Amino acid sequence: MRNYFIDDEKNEFVVDLHRTEVHSSNLVEFTFSSLEDDKLERTQNIFVRKLAGQYFVSMDNKRWKKLARQDAPNIMLNVNKVYQLFRGYKPSGLMGGNEGELLTQMPGKVVKIIVEKGQEVKKGDNLLILEAMKMENEIKAPIDGTVKEIYVKEGQALENGFLMMEVEKA
Amino acid sequence: MIDKRILILNRGEIASRIAKACRELNYTSVGVWTESEPHARHLEFCDEWVFLEGKNNQETYLNIEQIIKIAKENEIDGVHPGYGFLSENTDFAKALEENNITFIGPHSEAVRLMGDKAVSKTLAEKHNIPVVPGSIGAVKTIADAKKVAVEIGYPILLKAVAGGGGRGLRPCADEKELENNFEAVGREAMSSFGNGDLLVEKLIVNPRHIEVQILADKKGNTYHFFERECSVQRRHQKIIEEAPSPFIGSDEALRKELCDTAVILSKAVEYDSAGTVEFIMGEDRKFYFLEMNTRIQVEHPITEEITGIDLIVCMIQSAFGIDLGIPSQNWITKTGHAIECRICAEDPITMLPAPGEVTGFETNFPQGTRFDNCLYKSLEVTPDFDPMVGKLVTKGITRSVALRKMKAALDGLFIEGLKTNVPLHKVILENPKFIEGNYSTKFIGEEKPQDEVKTDFDYEKVYSMLATIEARRMGF
Repeated sequence: MRNYFIDDEKNEFVVDLHRTEVHSSNLVEFTFSSLEDDKLERTQNIFVRKLAGQYFVSMDNKRWKKLARQDAPNIMLNVNKVYQLFRGYKPSGLMGGNEGELLTQMPGKVVKIIVEKGQEVKKGDNLLILEAMKMENEIKAPIDGTVKEIYVKEGQALENGFLMMEVEKA
Repeated sequence: MIDKRILILNRGEIASRIAKACRELNYTSVGVWTESEPHARHLEFCDEWVFLEGKNNQETYLNIEQIIKIAKENEIDGVHPGYGFLSENTDFAKALEENNITFIGPHSEAVRLMGDKAVSKTLAEKHNIPVVPGSIGAVKTIADAKKVAVEIGYPILLKAVAGGGGRGLRPCADEKELENNFEAVGREAMSSFGNGDLLVEKLIVNPRHIEVQILADKKGNTYHFFERECSVQRRHQKIIEEAPSPFIGSDEALRKELCDTAVILSKAVEYDSAGTVEFIMGEDRKFYFLEMNTRIQVEHPITEEITGIDLIVCMIQSAFGIDLGIPSQNWITKTGHAIECRICAEDPITMLPAPGEVTGFETNFPQGTRFDNCLYKSLEVTPDFDPMVGKLVTKGITRSVALRKMKAALDGLFIEGLKTNVPLHKVILENPKFIEGNYSTKFIGEEKPQDEVKTDFDYEKVYSMLATIEARRMGF
């Protein structure tokens, strides 16, 4: 079965499961391989064993590691990125947004709007101040251009992924 | 034993910690819950729960009127405010006094004197305690701020009078930065503390943040429990703390001078609870009084670990006038070294808050690890509260043993689904300057450990995860 890991920036990792071998009632072995640019990159055998209601995994059937129990493992965290896991299919039309669109990365409240519609801005200029997690965060222009549209008002509470402003590329 | 009823006016790990202390004292702990956190884990540790009405913190945890009403309805004897929220609010401490409910903290006059940074600074000067040069009282206008800044010289620090916890604080290298920041800091102070007044202070170069733990009773006995060093900070918020301070090291004379100074200041306000006197120490080992926190602090566990005292229990006993059972200052000793890493729901590289849902949580710690936390599988970290979700504490006979244990503890902490600063902590623990114990509050800015956080796709983890999904699907 083919598995797709896709993050917010549409980075994609493809992992295939192509062999399952049941050794005993509590030991099973899988073989996975990863594809990069449609090329087979690596192959790995993994052993899984269940002990005291918990899954342990091993690469070599010798050294075992505990794994955090996950109820609905359709997301995976890798350091600073959260990947969505799609098993067996690849979704289409994931998250839109061009480079001039400012979306909220977390829920928050608009404290101050610094620019006006039609104003010219340089990459890195402060556009608005968003209060989130008790901190004031300066939202900066992602590109050089003009402020095409402002969709929010000062004092407005925003959900995650909300389109706040659009900057048209110069 | 007279059973007392304690209202725990907080959430998260500290609420659980206070509930444990109540259990030990055989007091009834009453936890609070709100609409935004109906499944809060701290409730699990409380004997009873009461509901706080309201949509945001202003209407719930900060609503004095509602809290007094609830406390009276539930026949509460004492309220423990934890840290943040109403822990350093004079009006609240007074309101409780008027209603004959014990505030588990210092008397309201001490909260008032120390809560206003301008007043506390004047008080310290009166007792010959060195303070950082700066404005006398709050600066009302930007013009006043500029005038003071020119007198003491740039760089300066803009500071909210009522600030704390790293909020309402901004360094300014020159006049231009001062102009840019004045309004924003005032606004942040107004929304966070309800007081927009600002102070201007000289910025000490390569400063160490060192603080002394104080514990006092109502009979005038004041004890110190040595110092903590909290120089690893980002955005003026501590992320790693250790006790004792590696900068002071084996300089017992300096340690004694610092701790004695903290005791003098505490006695000056007839302090009668657990509190912390914060100092800033320059490279020349000269120290200046910064502020006194009239509450229990986030990083209190490391002091508990090296001294063996239970600060929360003592704080509750002190509030009710019960003997602390401490014969004298000499009786208080420290052993070994303790270190704390604050585990926050944030991006390990940008260090910005990253709310989300915990999809898996598991631990596999080395012997002796303490993890004060509010984590559980399916916990949703919302932007309404501070991003800190836990405090990982290890202890060793020496600093290097404590560090080794911390590394192993971080490796054994599995939080899935939620971005945390665990990878950043791992990098910091490998940093040569940190290992040497030679670091100032500029550590994060100068050493930039965040740039060394490895973000390679962890195939081993991916395979392991997929393998367990398959195994479960097969009915294993």
